[in-house]
Amino acid sequence: MIPSITRLVMGAGWVCSVGLALAQAPAGNAPTSLPLNDLSSFKAAGSNWRIAGDASADLVQNGALTATKGTGVLVNLPDKKSATDLQSTLQHGDLDLELDYMMAKGSNSGVYLQGRYEIQLTDSWGIKGARTGDNGSIYERWDESRPEGQKGYEGYAARQNASRAPGLWQHLKISFQAPRFDASGKKIENARMLRVELNGVPIHENVELTGPTRGAIASNETAVGPLVLQGDHGPVAFRNIHYVLYNKPRPELINLTYAVYKGRFQKEPDYKNTPPEAQGPLTQLSTGVTSIPNEFTIRYTGTLRVKEPSEYVFNLGPSGGGALMRINNAVVIKPGEGSLRGNATLPAGDLPFEMVYAKFVDWAKAGLGLAVAGPGVREYSMMAANEAGGEETDPILMDAPTNTILRSFMDLPNVKNDQGRTMRVVHAVSVGSPDGVHYTYDMDNGALVQVWRGQFLDTTPMWHDRGDGSSRPMGMVQRMGRPVLALRKLATPQTAWATDTAGTGYRPKGYVLDESDRPTFRYLAYGSQFSDQIRVVDNGQGIRREVTVTNPAGDLYARLVEGKTIEPLKNGLYSIDGKAYYVRIDEAGGATPIVRDANGGKELLVPVRNGKLSYSILF
Amino acid sequence: MNYKSIQRLAGPVGGLLTAVCLMTTSVRAQESPKEEDFFKIMKVTAPEGTLLEVGGLTVLPNGDLGISTRRGDIFIVENPTSRKPYFRKFASGLHEVLGLTYKDGAFYCAQRGELTKLVDSNGDGKADVLETVYSWPLSGHYHEYSFGPKVASDGSFFVSGNVAFGDEQWWRGESRVPWRGWVMRISPTGQMEPWAAGVRSPCGLGMIDGELFYSDNQGEWMGSGGIWHVKKGGFMGHPAGLRWTNLPNSPLKLTTEQIYAKVDPRDNRDDAGRAIKPENVVDEKFTLLYELKKDFPQLQTPAVWLPHGVQGVSNSEILQIPAENFGPFGGQILVGDQGQSKITRVFLEKVGGDYQGASFDFRSNFQSGVLRMAWAKDGSLFVGETNRGWGSAGEANEGLQRLVWNGRTPFEMRAVRAMPDGFEVEFTSPVDRKSAEDLASYSVESFLYKYHPVYGSPTVNKEKCAVKGVKVSEDGLKARVIVDNMRRYYIHNLTLEGVRAKDGSYSLVHPTAYYTLNNIPTGQKLAMSEVSTRSSATEKPAATSTAPAKKSTPVKKGAKTAVVGTAAKTGEAVASVSKAPTFDEVKPLLNRHTCAACHNAAKRQIGPAFADVAKRGYTNEKIVELIYNPKPQNWPGYSTEMPPMPQVPKADALKIAAWINSLAADKGADAKATKNPDQP
Repeated sequence: MIPSITRLVMGAGWVCSVGLALAQAPAGNAPTSLPLNDLSSFKAAGSNWRIAGDASADLVQNGALTATKGTGVLVNLPDKKSATDLQSTLQHGDLDLELDYMMAKGSNSGVYLQGRYEIQLTDSWGIKGARTGDNGSIYERWDESRPEGQKGYEGYAARQNASRAPGLWQHLKISFQAPRFDASGKKIENARMLRVELNGVPIHENVELTGPTRGAIASNETAVGPLVLQGDHGPVAFRNIHYVLYNKPRPELINLTYAVYKGRFQKEPDYKNTPPEAQGPLTQLSTGVTSIPNEFTIRYTGTLRVKEPSEYVFNLGPSGGGALMRINNAVVIKPGEGSLRGNATLPAGDLPFEMVYAKFVDWAKAGLGLAVAGPGVREYSMMAANEAGGEETDPILMDAPTNTILRSFMDLPNVKNDQGRTMRVVHAVSVGSPDGVHYTYDMDNGALVQVWRGQFLDTTPMWHDRGDGSSRPMGMVQRMGRPVLALRKLATPQTAWATDTAGTGYRPKGYVLDESDRPTFRYLAYGSQFSDQIRVVDNGQGIRREVTVTNPAGDLYARLVEGKTIEPLKNGLYSIDGKAYYVRIDEAGGATPIVRDANGGKELLVPVRNGKLSYSILF
Repeated sequence: MNYKSIQRLAGPVGGLLTAVCLMTTSVRAQESPKEEDFFKIMKVTAPEGTLLEVGGLTVLPNGDLGISTRRGDIFIVENPTSRKPYFRKFASGLHEVLGLTYKDGAFYCAQRGELTKLVDSNGDGKADVLETVYSWPLSGHYHEYSFGPKVASDGSFFVSGNVAFGDEQWWRGESRVPWRGWVMRISPTGQMEPWAAGVRSPCGLGMIDGELFYSDNQGEWMGSGGIWHVKKGGFMGHPAGLRWTNLPNSPLKLTTEQIYAKVDPRDNRDDAGRAIKPENVVDEKFTLLYELKKDFPQLQTPAVWLPHGVQGVSNSEILQIPAENFGPFGGQILVGDQGQSKITRVFLEKVGGDYQGASFDFRSNFQSGVLRMAWAKDGSLFVGETNRGWGSAGEANEGLQRLVWNGRTPFEMRAVRAMPDGFEVEFTSPVDRKSAEDLASYSVESFLYKYHPVYGSPTVNKEKCAVKGVKVSEDGLKARVIVDNMRRYYIHNLTLEGVRAKDGSYSLVHPTAYYTLNNIPTGQKLAMSEVSTRSSATEKPAATSTAPAKKSTPVKKGAKTAVVGTAAKTGEAVASVSKAPTFDEVKPLLNRHTCAACHNAAKRQIGPAFADVAKRGYTNEKIVELIYNPKPQNWPGYSTEMPPMPQVPKADALKIAAWINSLAADKGADAKATKNPDQP
């Protein structure tokens, strides 16, 4: 059967919604870095705060976080003498914020937007589901006057526990909208967390905040406020703090009118001499002004009130037809179909606005999307809220309430294949566990592809309609790079690790399930039988992999991981990729691990003794 | 024509049809039994929520039914023919299992990427050893489905793999990694032997008398679906897989270039450098697949063509009927179809050392696309169904049903055999001599399909084959017809509209057969003295077969919208209420031109309901244009594109268009829609 072309044609349509925010920085909105060369970005820092070059935290010992000399990292080490919060000199309203942070074991901190609305930072490693006090959650509000046990309210738990282990850098992305006030200072709109992502996982979307959360710097709400980092509750480190301020007023459309012309127009109708089918005023842009199914044109006119002169970017998405747009009597978007885009440098003032939408595709529903963004102006939709959207597909999601396996294709976004395209593992086996820790295994290479924590798989790509055969992990993923055979013969310890199985006699033999339905993979290589078992470590802290070989040939090495950096810690523990995750050698028969250069980074190798090796990935 | 079957087709268009049915001339034909009077479709109950997008079916020696699904599950059903089948999940998490078999205590299945052996070694009812027998390369393209296994007589397994489609040239089937577009044979110990090439979408594999057959689907290079005998080293027609014939273990050396030297692959670009999708060229010199056999002896033409739109649009499982099952059809072959949700029956014979034979309609109206079939121990047939991604006839997206024969013999063509001078039809029960000796009861024509890189093919080179004489056997079970203009390799369509059964004067349940004449047998021809040459057509000048008399229809037709340009040609038609054709008048056209393969008057099938087409308010001429050059982009949500149908004569197309538009006039509210500015 031939592939459906509907997907190609349906490209016309939607480019934005209110929550688009973080998808791409609009023109002129490159993030600003908060300098961490000294504490000058902050007001009156307590002595628990310092600038460092790096931080590290112990995986096992509570509250153990150390700083090393240098700049670029902000470290909090509270003690009896000083345990205060830190306020930025920056005052912000609407903003996008991104930062890395590292928790000590058992530690607790927070990021307060405007000093008032807290995203909780805490060590939630090993906890299965997130609660309102867990990492990434929106902390609760507090009302002392309420009855005991009910004083805390309106905390919002993160959708998933997307946390990493203590001592690992975690990544937080926040899109925040400040409360709105009218001219008399009365609040007319609540603050919102438009979108929060923790370690790549969306954990909040469009959450309305009715007021400051517990521990805010003040109980009132304001148009602007400082960023506050909590310092009274345990060691924490921050770095790479970037933000975009959206502090410029939006252009607004006012005095809108519409006129509907019936017919199929190859070019614009002669407005003067063509009587409209219908016309009238309009509060917001919408195609709902007519119920004619097809072959009509709507002309919208009005005024674009621009308060801030700037270059603005407009995204226009007509569905089922074409559109054009003029502002200030100049064409901003030429007549076209599909996803249209135009820039316009606009002066302040009331500017004539004109948009024309022609509907001529008989099968499609009428629909239109218009969004605008600019320096200091977050992209927002100018359409009425009930304007129809694009295609609607029910997601097909797979849980792992018991040990669950799914074979599918698996894409590796950060790895390119030999043709320069995103690598797709075609014999991938994903294994989910009720502990909420999951992994994918590549049977073409006997390789561990990725591990993740949280929800199991999004199978919509493979099971909706014809599907493309692939599934996607839904939690917080740690990918292991290009999958290669884990155990190989090396002529010398310096021999490069080949990227394919040629010459090894590698042959997958499938897997065997234990009584809990957990698989042990089996394969042949070098004439020997390999047994490859991956199990979830206690408390969901990661996975442990044990490979055993019957009748092993000599000179067999295991390549545990590759990474930009591999840093030995104590007791067989290594931190990988600048503290992205840990590897721990559990059993190597006394062999000495080797950290060596490879491919512009590092590899961790261990000679295989007695046909057995086990190691853990903790993340 | 039969009252009940018309109702089913036309649904709510209702009123006028009751009138039509009363107008049929042959009252006896109206009473003739239909396929559902002999073969009943029954439900196999399953626990609520069990998603049975069936990809594989097999019956275990103890009668349990094994089911594999496109969602990666394998179920075992105990007591599957009882009122309370018991489902157990044997395995899950597999990658789209499109075939299942049971051998020596283990299940074997084809996943997307491997042949897997599944064993329950600890007796807990679930698979715990999932052994990779052989893992084959995949490129990761969505269309690389893999099918099988079927067990060869030596215990090895046959599997097959779909081609992938291009990026820019999304219409071109490609073999991106070795053995896509091939049939592979895999030993139980996992040794793989590439077996044959040239397959496109080899969804159905079947062992018939120890030989491997496969079914393919209409597509580029495949003018129509059919079933092929797959010999080792054979080439079935689609050039994509020939890419790998240079590998050392390839059983054939034929190359893509050799094919392209004979048939232009039409890999053309426009001035802007964009690839152009090849479309059917109406007036051109074209190649027929068999014409290449002299240059490429490995090339296999289908053993039996299954004419597209008539005997399926996406042929699937091939299954032999055990000798003791289904009465007169024991030993013959059933072929499923995923698009029309029906099963076709094939009679196979060997002439001149090659397989050939006839296909007949058998049973339709399954609830979803038929993908797999398996025999229950009690002689009934399990039918596994799915249509996700393609659409199909029927009201469901998946299903598991069971076809049960009631033991009564239907009056059918049991077999059609090629003769040196025509064909011999064998019946399941004796014929009425008078109708069987009447030449007018028979009509024969033959046609073929092009072999070209275009998706599908119109029927071409259609010619009538005059029936010169008929000899009916003493026992009335056979009628041998002398037929002129027999053409080797062509599909010969025999229609026995006038033959009646001796008992009850019933007409044949399925009066049409399509015989693929790969070889014309040698042997004794009939003498004209032995045959009847009587024809009621020449005796009675005004004889008609089943065309209904044109009486005024009792139902008024709105006819406001596009009834322009139908049969009424003269100016006077404007004055009177111009009448659109009735369903009864267009039904033969809809069948002959295979519209009914994908469209129903009121219900969505593979294509939109005709009533929905009517809502678009096209003129008749516009509909005709769209028949010749469909615009699939006008119907998002329908996954299977309508192929161009230039072979439909304009007069027929206009008639069909007029009838389609009359469906809108019947629905009062829609007729109120704005006047189409295209229309005068």
